[in-house]
Amino acid sequence: MTDKAHILSRAFEDRIFVGVAAAVALAAVVVALFPGLSGYRVNIAGQLACFALLALSLDLIWGYAGILSLGHGLFFAIGGYVIGMHLLEHAVATTGVTPDIVQFMGWKALPDWWGPLESFPVALVAALGVSFAVAFVFGWVSFRSRVGGVYFAIITQALVYVAMLLMFRNDTGFGGNNGMTGFQTIFGAPFQTPGVAKGLAATSLLVLFAALVACRLLMIGRFGRLLVATRDDETRLRSLGYETLRLKLGVWCLSAVLAAIAGLLYVPQVGIINPRVLSPELSLEIAVWCAIGGRGRLAGAVIGAVLVNAIKFSLSATMPELWPFVLAGLVILVALIFPNGLLDIGRWRPTWISRPDVLQPGDAKP
Amino acid sequence: MSKFDRRSFLMTTAGLAAGAALPLAAPPLIRSARAAGPVKLGCLFSSSGTMANLEGRMNFVAKMAADEINAAGGVNGSTIEVVTSDPASDWPLYAQIGRQMLAETKVAALFGCWTSVSRKSVLPVVEQNDGLLFYPLHFEGDENSKNVVYVNSPPASSVLPAVDYLMSPDGVEAKRFFMIGSDYVWPRTINKQLKGYWKSKGIEESAWKEEYVPFSFSNFQTIVNQIRAFADAPGGKCVVVLTVVGSSIPDFMREFANQGISSSDVPVLGLDMVEADLEGLDTAKMVGHLNCWAYLQQAKGDANVKFLKSWSDYVTKTGAPFKKDVAIDPMVSTYDAVHLWAMAAKKAGSFDVPEVRKAFDGLSFDCPSGYKIGMTAENNYVSRGVFIGSVNETQGFDVLWQSPDTPKPVPMSQY
Amino acid sequence: MTRFIRKAAAIVLAIAFMAAPALALDRAAIVAQACGGPGSMTEAAAALTAGVATASKDDAAWAATLSGAAIERTLKCGSPPVIAAPAGARDAATLAPATSADGTSPLLSLKNRPLFETARAAATLFSGVTQGERGAALSALERRAGSLPPELFEKAADAETDVGLKERILGVGQAALLNSPDVSKRISAIERISVSADRRSLTQVAGLKTDPAYATDQAFKAAVDAGVASIERRLQISNALNTLYNGLSFASILFMASAGLAIIFGLMGVINLAQGEFIMIGAYVTYAVQEVLRAAAPDLLDWYLIVAIPIVFLATAGVGVFLEATLVRRLYTRPLMTLLATWAVSLLIVNLVRVGVGTQNLQFVTPSWMSGGHLLMGDFIVTWNRLFAIVFAAATLVLTWVVLKRTPLGLNIRAVTQNRAMAGCLGIATRRVDMMAFGLGSGLAGLAGLALCPIYNVNPQMGSNFIVDSFMVVVLGGVGTLAGTVIASLGVGQINVLIEPLYGAVAAKVIVLLMIIAFLQWRPDGLFAVKGRRK
Repeated sequence: MTDKAHILSRAFEDRIFVGVAAAVALAAVVVALFPGLSGYRVNIAGQLACFALLALSLDLIWGYAGILSLGHGLFFAIGGYVIGMHLLEHAVATTGVTPDIVQFMGWKALPDWWGPLESFPVALVAALGVSFAVAFVFGWVSFRSRVGGVYFAIITQALVYVAMLLMFRNDTGFGGNNGMTGFQTIFGAPFQTPGVAKGLAATSLLVLFAALVACRLLMIGRFGRLLVATRDDETRLRSLGYETLRLKLGVWCLSAVLAAIAGLLYVPQVGIINPRVLSPELSLEIAVWCAIGGRGRLAGAVIGAVLVNAIKFSLSATMPELWPFVLAGLVILVALIFPNGLLDIGRWRPTWISRPDVLQPGDAKP
Repeated sequence: MSKFDRRSFLMTTAGLAAGAALPLAAPPLIRSARAAGPVKLGCLFSSSGTMANLEGRMNFVAKMAADEINAAGGVNGSTIEVVTSDPASDWPLYAQIGRQMLAETKVAALFGCWTSVSRKSVLPVVEQNDGLLFYPLHFEGDENSKNVVYVNSPPASSVLPAVDYLMSPDGVEAKRFFMIGSDYVWPRTINKQLKGYWKSKGIEESAWKEEYVPFSFSNFQTIVNQIRAFADAPGGKCVVVLTVVGSSIPDFMREFANQGISSSDVPVLGLDMVEADLEGLDTAKMVGHLNCWAYLQQAKGDANVKFLKSWSDYVTKTGAPFKKDVAIDPMVSTYDAVHLWAMAAKKAGSFDVPEVRKAFDGLSFDCPSGYKIGMTAENNYVSRGVFIGSVNETQGFDVLWQSPDTPKPVPMSQY
Repeated sequence: MTRFIRKAAAIVLAIAFMAAPALALDRAAIVAQACGGPGSMTEAAAALTAGVATASKDDAAWAATLSGAAIERTLKCGSPPVIAAPAGARDAATLAPATSADGTSPLLSLKNRPLFETARAAATLFSGVTQGERGAALSALERRAGSLPPELFEKAADAETDVGLKERILGVGQAALLNSPDVSKRISAIERISVSADRRSLTQVAGLKTDPAYATDQAFKAAVDAGVASIERRLQISNALNTLYNGLSFASILFMASAGLAIIFGLMGVINLAQGEFIMIGAYVTYAVQEVLRAAAPDLLDWYLIVAIPIVFLATAGVGVFLEATLVRRLYTRPLMTLLATWAVSLLIVNLVRVGVGTQNLQFVTPSWMSGGHLLMGDFIVTWNRLFAIVFAAATLVLTWVVLKRTPLGLNIRAVTQNRAMAGCLGIATRRVDMMAFGLGSGLAGLAGLALCPIYNVNPQMGSNFIVDSFMVVVLGGVGTLAGTVIASLGVGQINVLIEPLYGAVAAKVIVLLMIIAFLQWRPDGLFAVKGRRK
């Protein structure tokens, strides 16, 4: 089923993983303790960590279970919207200033049912709970009727598109196109305080580190091996008596919750959440980060997300016209020459274009 | 972790860690060409995505205005350098790039945003960094930040005069209104204010109807059917108040004309409709529909002749991918904005935001619209003239009505 | 003061001409009014409309010219006022050749525009040279019949030589008598109006229920009630037709956008996210054809859409074949990677076009045979551009069906779709078939772009609007069946149009997509699963 030559050597992979994890930890320390960093760069580091976490969550389901979701923005947005509601409630509670959203939504005050979200633990539980519930219901229905492969990809894409259309409506009640902005304070501290940006960025990096390590442990264990087996030959695994539905559903829900956490960390750092995070393009881009970094290796997702977004940040203000070409070029390059992502470069033995039909993990069944 | 010795482990780890940490500590990726020399102005206009066709041209206008000022010797001994970007019609990206420009590129002021959504997303950024954003579009009002200069008009001095005109005997004595808008804050707020205004005039609630469509919606067949049904119902003359934006405008107008509705049947007041939206349409069947802005290309006066000439020359010179014979209000507003900023900076003798802001009081500028536009100490609004335009056969607007002077802007709506 | 003098002069002149058999229009005074402010322009239009019925044929012709000039802004209010024309300016009052063509053109206000349009139509009804001109003028007057003096139609009918047109004029004249003091005339007016059966007539007739005569006069009441009932019945039919037509036109667009996708997806299991961009390329090639024709053969410009068909198909098919040979072919066993790669291609194409051509909407000439529409009954208008899309989609469907069922290529495609390995064993060059099919699918997408030119805006982003919708249609229909795609597009289009007036455009789209998602969870193979081995 799998062509051995195209699997990276285990040792190399281990090294990369440890390196990436260490780099994340180091970055967390640098961000938290190094005083010379500008607030802007701290913020960028924090955002990159959120994107990396998002990519990591997709890698679990795509890289390990072979199920490509083109709708992961949905879970990211759930986390983001819940924390947005929390921050707005918190702003009202601490500063007493009515946020813009009340005015442009034509409300008198924030809706009553947002009230409990003023407490952070409630918001956290809500974000994780909602993303888990949505993932569970959708996953259960899909995996039970054996929707997979390309079908699953398009259906999730349609799902996130529907969510985007819904959230763009003002009447849906979450700020419509505007979304939520104007967050004032977090844990009682105003956002302008320099420590806030550092704290958020360092937290994001630490969460990323923890997630990397936890996922790694999970994936080299029994669960991870079963997942890979499901990916490579689900029928055989089922006939061996394993309940693959439960496996797939488990990793799918885990992935959704991770994505929600990424959204939770991301929104306070950018100060806005709007339905754009639900656009099919963003969800597709997440898959692109994974593909560029290399799937099924955790570290690859992190590298891909950080690399792509770092280039994007640096280009969008200086040479904005260039960015789409760079991105398209990278994807085509990866698709044709480095099927395992840019980590292939480390091996210096790329699958050259003259060898078209090499099976990749997860591609066995369209 | 069998095949992997300690040395290679340490080396890889160190290498990767350094790789990750370096960019954090390294000098900024976006480096200014000459650190001390020019003063930088940042543009937040998309050149891709649904707003690209409208916003894209503003980057060039800002550069053109900067060139004019530089040719006259610059400001406070510095030349102006305009930094452009592409927020790709993605609202959060406006905030992101705005933050980057203020914190990293150290721009003295930002010029940008078309939709109110993008302005609302940049607002917290300019407020937190105490920057200045010059916003060149007419908008829904109800906002008054010390960090935003509202170069164009709030509804009280743009939309309401136009609606008044439609309701007057000189117009069509409109009694009933079909509001169709893109689903976001600007159309919703405008319509809310209009409804309040009509209520204050004693118009029944049954005399209006509102519909919202998503951004870049294009299939208006059913909605135009609804408009026809509404217009033919009893109760007096019906007009359409169109607040869809971007590419939806030409789509709507085309379907409207194709279903055989002319301006003498049901006039359309396109609040965001500009000359650029009519590009590519057969406007012979749309003659007479209205828009309202603080500038129309047919405005009279030397300032306009000069502006149109500079734009045409500029497009020829730089090969900008826009029509050289089309000028729209937001272009002029951006042009005004750059000049207003330069005048304020000159007056203040500084580029510091608080100083520049203090200097706004009493500024006045000969706008291409033919009016002398001005600012007061009261707020960051600019008083502009009001034009009502009427679509003509040549994809432009004729001036149907214009205000005698520049009404004082009212930031907060009473409706 | 001057206005008073002018008015006085007009009265004097009118008295002076009393004796003449036809009352002459006071041309100079009317021209002066037409050059005045909005208020006096209103008076000018009223004077023209009121005067034509009693004016000489010559005067009526002049009235038509003057009001036409006011509408088209060729009236130049210099001294003297002239009417500008390509053949040379003419004096506005005498229509004698004039020397200067200076002066500003007054702009018609919203209120005055319909008045001048009415004046022009009324004048043309009397002075039109051909029967067609007079007929068109009558059609224009029909909708505003109530605001015109009833004797205008009587006089026009008297002067009319054509029997059919005379009949029509009398009919419209009858309708104009809705508010006449004579009840029997009113009743015949009601009957007359009830025939047209659009919503405006309903408003007119139903409005009579508040008329005093409705309570007192039994015959009048019966006529009004019968009129309302008949109009309402016909309105229901025309509404149903409207919905059907809207649904059909939306369905035809959906079908065009997804037909190519259905073939490619069905055959190769490959998702081509650049399909929307092929639509865009098709539209841009159409534009190029239009520009070439404009330069080389302006006579053919009206038919550029037809001329472009083969060129668009070949061009987009060529791009498709190129894409297949360079990229997609190498990724067949990795469909998910194809998905990302084709997305990158779409990004590339959009940005190449954006940089190369610009972001502005392309300007298409609307061919004369495609602008506007035909009022079929009641409020049901068949718009030509949408009819073109429907017919075009139907033709594409037939042709595609023929290609798939009646040609060797089609046979091969079907064979490979059903069982790739077996087809290969039988000597079919499956890779070649793939390439041809990819080309066919891309060509179809290009044709979709062509059909969309007269309906939508053509710009680099246009393709992205279709991607989710067309995928849903393909998957709903069942991969690999053209019939499934047709039925899915018809269903989705119709349901969308039915829901839209109830809950709005967004909700309609959301509801339809959610329905499809739910359906696919239940039946992942779609409506019509192709028989054969699932790959």
